[in-house]
Amino acid sequence: MSAIPGFMKGLGYTFKQMFAEKSTYDYPNEPLKMPERFRGIQYLDVDKCIVCLQCQRICPTQCIDIKGKPNPEGKGKVLESFDINFEICILCDLCTEVCPTEAILMTNNYELATYSRDELFKDMKWLNENDENIRRGDA
Amino acid sequence: MFNWLHGPMTVGTLLTISVLAVVLLLIVLAFVTYAIYFERKVIGWIQLRHGPTEHGPLGLLQTPADVLKLLIKEDIIPKLADKPLFILAPVLAFVPSFTVVAVIPFTDAIGFTDTNVGLLIYVALSGITILGTLLGGWASNNKYSLLGGMRSAAQMISYEIPLILSAMGVIVMAGTMNLREIVEFQGQMGVWFVVPQIVGFLVFLIAANAEMNRSPFDLPEAESELVAGYHTEYSGFRFAIFMLTEYVYMFAMSSLIVVLFLGGWLPPLQWIPGLGFLKAVPGIVWFALKFVVVVFYWIWLRGTMPRFRTETLMNFAWKVLLPVSLLNLVATAVIKALV
Repeated sequence: MSAIPGFMKGLGYTFKQMFAEKSTYDYPNEPLKMPERFRGIQYLDVDKCIVCLQCQRICPTQCIDIKGKPNPEGKGKVLESFDINFEICILCDLCTEVCPTEAILMTNNYELATYSRDELFKDMKWLNENDENIRRGDA
Repeated sequence: MFNWLHGPMTVGTLLTISVLAVVLLLIVLAFVTYAIYFERKVIGWIQLRHGPTEHGPLGLLQTPADVLKLLIKEDIIPKLADKPLFILAPVLAFVPSFTVVAVIPFTDAIGFTDTNVGLLIYVALSGITILGTLLGGWASNNKYSLLGGMRSAAQMISYEIPLILSAMGVIVMAGTMNLREIVEFQGQMGVWFVVPQIVGFLVFLIAANAEMNRSPFDLPEAESELVAGYHTEYSGFRFAIFMLTEYVYMFAMSSLIVVLFLGGWLPPLQWIPGLGFLKAVPGIVWFALKFVVVVFYWIWLRGTMPRFRTETLMNFAWKVLLPVSLLNLVATAVIKALV
């Protein structure tokens, strides 16, 4: 018998909830807004890279493969190829932290699903062209 | 509509009866389809989400899509299951649920039967469904199904008794078990039976909820506890039949509540003089409106309450509902004898 006021209160609450604002995201139709510091896939600025190989050394899953060649104009080295095996990249951001020239940065892009695993092997050209939504350096 | 009951059976009559029965079946199936949709939408709104919206405008084609999926699935029968009983169980559960719709008078003129024992037929036939669920639990050769089937049978037979006793308060007052005459008696009384028989109405509402194995009394088919209970091993069309049984019982039980307690096809508030113009609205519209309110109540309750534990459920039936409905019956009989 003492449960009856609780029961009526419960029914009243659920009835009011029926008219409350829905908390569903309309995801595929409206894009999800990500915060500024969100780490998505990397962006590579080929001209800034000095091939110091620090990012390859620090990567916890060893997903970065770099091949450098001597700079045809002047000293130092330039990039010949830079591959990220995105199947094992864990988006931990350590490569961006150690880079002395900020050549590699994270973007906010997260819609990365592909139909075949071959397309997950990101090469230098793709990473250079991925220049939208770059994560701000001060975030 | 009852002329054929008094004349000889001719081929024409037989054809008419068959066609009308098929029409009723189609109406009941349309109800089931949109009751499932309505349930998903309302429970979604209670839980701050939208419910089905993808298929068809406003998600209206969601249930036909689900039914199509169930129909085209592979029919799996476990190897060690008792095959004839496995196949028989859904049929045994479903057929009584559709048969009892025959005794319900929808309006003055629309109804399929006019027997003097309408309520008794309803209660007797709905008992056969219990056999079907118990059989489904046994024939599946699965301990969870067996537990679910046993619990379901125990629950349903325990709650049948308060169900019948609370309806008997109505019968004592009306003096008949004929469902049409019960509605007409409410018309003569001026108020619906929900007012003098309020205790009986509340007990009937709770017992009906338990009879239909719906939340909060849905332990036999509790997804999180018994992995769907007695219909664990059923897939595809057989599962669709168990689901159909549950929703057709919702139709039959809600119609029975409307007829017994809420005045059937009668317009409301007739005890206020001057509202006689409400009689202009056809009876079937009033029946449908009251019916929708009762169905909404089942769905609302499902979204609100957690489920009962087994021993609480059984205690509640035998120690609370049974004495209350007995007292209600005795009080009704005493008052009727004195007045």
